[in-house]
Amino acid sequence: MKKYLRMTLNERAQHLNLAINFTILVITGFALSFPKAFWVSPITDVPTGMTIRGFLHRLCGVATVFLGGYHILYCAFTKRGRGIIKDMIPGLKDAVDLWETLKNNLFINRPAKTLKMPRFNFREKLEYLGLIWGTLVMTVTGFILWFEVEWLKYFPKWTFDVARTIHFYEAILATLTIIVWHFYSVIFNPDIYPMSWAWITGDLTEHEMEEEHGLELERIRAEEKGKLVEFGEAAAVGGGRVIPLLHTDEEKKGSSLRRLFTTIKDFNETIKNWKGM
Amino acid sequence: MKWRDRDMKTWMVVGGILPLLVLGILAEEAWSAKVACLDCHRDESLSKEDARGKKVSLFVSEAGFKNSVHGKVSCSDCHTKITDDSHAEGGKKAAERRVDCESCHDKAEKEYKQGLHSKMIMKGTERAANCFDCHGKHNILPSKNPRSMTHVSNIDKTCNRCHADLEFVKEHALGAAIPKEEFKKSVHGMTGEITCTNCHGSHNLRSLIDPKSTIFRSNIPQTCGSCHPDITNQFTEGIHGVLAARGRSDAPTCTTCHGFHGIKAKVDPDSPVHERRIAMTTCPQCHAAERISKEYRLTTAPVKSYYDSFHGLSYQGGDTFSANCASCHGVHDIRPSSDPKSMIHKDNLQKTCGSCHPGASENFSLGKMHVLASITGDEIGDKIVGWVKIIYIILIVMVIGGLTLFNFTDWLRKTVDRAH
Repeated sequence: MKKYLRMTLNERAQHLNLAINFTILVITGFALSFPKAFWVSPITDVPTGMTIRGFLHRLCGVATVFLGGYHILYCAFTKRGRGIIKDMIPGLKDAVDLWETLKNNLFINRPAKTLKMPRFNFREKLEYLGLIWGTLVMTVTGFILWFEVEWLKYFPKWTFDVARTIHFYEAILATLTIIVWHFYSVIFNPDIYPMSWAWITGDLTEHEMEEEHGLELERIRAEEKGKLVEFGEAAAVGGGRVIPLLHTDEEKKGSSLRRLFTTIKDFNETIKNWKGM
Repeated sequence: MKWRDRDMKTWMVVGGILPLLVLGILAEEAWSAKVACLDCHRDESLSKEDARGKKVSLFVSEAGFKNSVHGKVSCSDCHTKITDDSHAEGGKKAAERRVDCESCHDKAEKEYKQGLHSKMIMKGTERAANCFDCHGKHNILPSKNPRSMTHVSNIDKTCNRCHADLEFVKEHALGAAIPKEEFKKSVHGMTGEITCTNCHGSHNLRSLIDPKSTIFRSNIPQTCGSCHPDITNQFTEGIHGVLAARGRSDAPTCTTCHGFHGIKAKVDPDSPVHERRIAMTTCPQCHAAERISKEYRLTTAPVKSYYDSFHGLSYQGGDTFSANCASCHGVHDIRPSSDPKSMIHKDNLQKTCGSCHPGASENFSLGKMHVLASITGDEIGDKIVGWVKIIYIILIVMVIGGLTLFNFTDWLRKTVDRAH
């Protein structure tokens, strides 16, 4: 069965990193808001449990911020990353897709329209934008709460209270969004259940591509066709195999920023093509 | 041996013995009364019936009496008059008075007569303590003797003969208070040097409602201060001490926070002033109480808002580094914020906050604590926080509601499709 790369190993590592940090943040955060809840007792029963909780929360917060920074670099300095950003920009088509999906679901479209969605469909775009928004809000308010002495040198106390309120409610919003939206997309969706394995294996099946990303599938197929045309002669010379030239020496010259760019690019390329030990 | 010599010798013997004999007779005279009494009273089965037909033992332990502090005193020194037919026949005088300690111990008797036990006796309460109830009868030992009923190590047992008796406590409407076990485990009871009488007094022990009592509300700080003078000095200057001294029944005294008989060290988790309980029960018992907060124009907002704050939330989870009430307001000398000596007076706040938040600026201490976010709040800050809260709740309901609804239609459609 043909498989289509959905997440490179690098991206899967980023996803796993975020998933772990997010979970710890949710647990250690709400443990403070609901200290008497039954599920908090493993924390509160331990001596200095609340102190450890706070430390862990800040540690994972910092880890998430660093992960966000890494993700920005990844998106800026790799071709694949730039592609992700380009494909992630929401457009009118996403609104139409959403609207038509709703009409399909409510049996307004009869028969149901077959929707061909791009590499990132409206569900994913919505969630990715939400993630960016949430991370920004939580980072800003979180650092205000952390460095309260410094913040309160310049701002009145009520701004601190506002930051606390936002940090708490944004946490509820983010957690519920993950449970309601993300977990539906990748777990509870009847087409996907019990789980989408892309976050572990990194690829989607042809069927999954047809369902969720029809437009992208068409694009890939067309591209492959084009490649075959393009490499018609080369295929004959190389015995049907195409050996890509990864980079030339010229690429290694230039400014330090340029070299960092190349390093990350190479790193990602290596991970992408990694076939195991 | 010559007769004369013998004659002389006899006289010598008689002359030598005679003084001894006289001395002996004199001594015998003093002891004879006791012997006469004990002839009958050393019989353990000797008893009589009192006016109500109750059997009363008349046995006196000779050894116990001889070793007692009164061992050299004659029976009739205390039992001056005995109203009994059989003794009248034996030539003893009949009379109306029972044993009277006052004739020798007039000072103690005077104190006793002002105390609660004597008053109860005068009211006709049968089991209220008389002298002999605490000191014993024939076997009284000085209180320094470790075997004495009034030795410091035995006083609690002496008191508990009545006060740990459930029947007695019920009969005399002492509430359900049986301080025995409580006190034994208390920090005072553990010392072995502090006992009932240290706080309650001994001969002049008074009722809780007697204003002269050591345990009368307003007198408690002074009573505790007899051992803890520094703390009492701090307390009496604080707002609680001032109000307590004025007789406010709502104002706390030492016992309101520390407890009564079962006072524990503050490091004991069972102590009501243990650091994990101060903000849970100790202060809120009054400051979250509607009755008191209304009377004194306080609000319950400080307690409520504390539980909502980071300090309060972390504290509820057992974080003892997090500030509790006492961290900012002080312990024994809590003062209102208007008092320049108060920890929460505006001039002192920066220092108070700074004790946990090093480098706290002046601006840091300016902000309002105990904020209850509300769009109808007093200050602009409260209002903004209140609005942020409302906006976020609306946002959450709409976003999560929308997402859930959308997913539900999606699930429904896919499930329907599968069924066909």
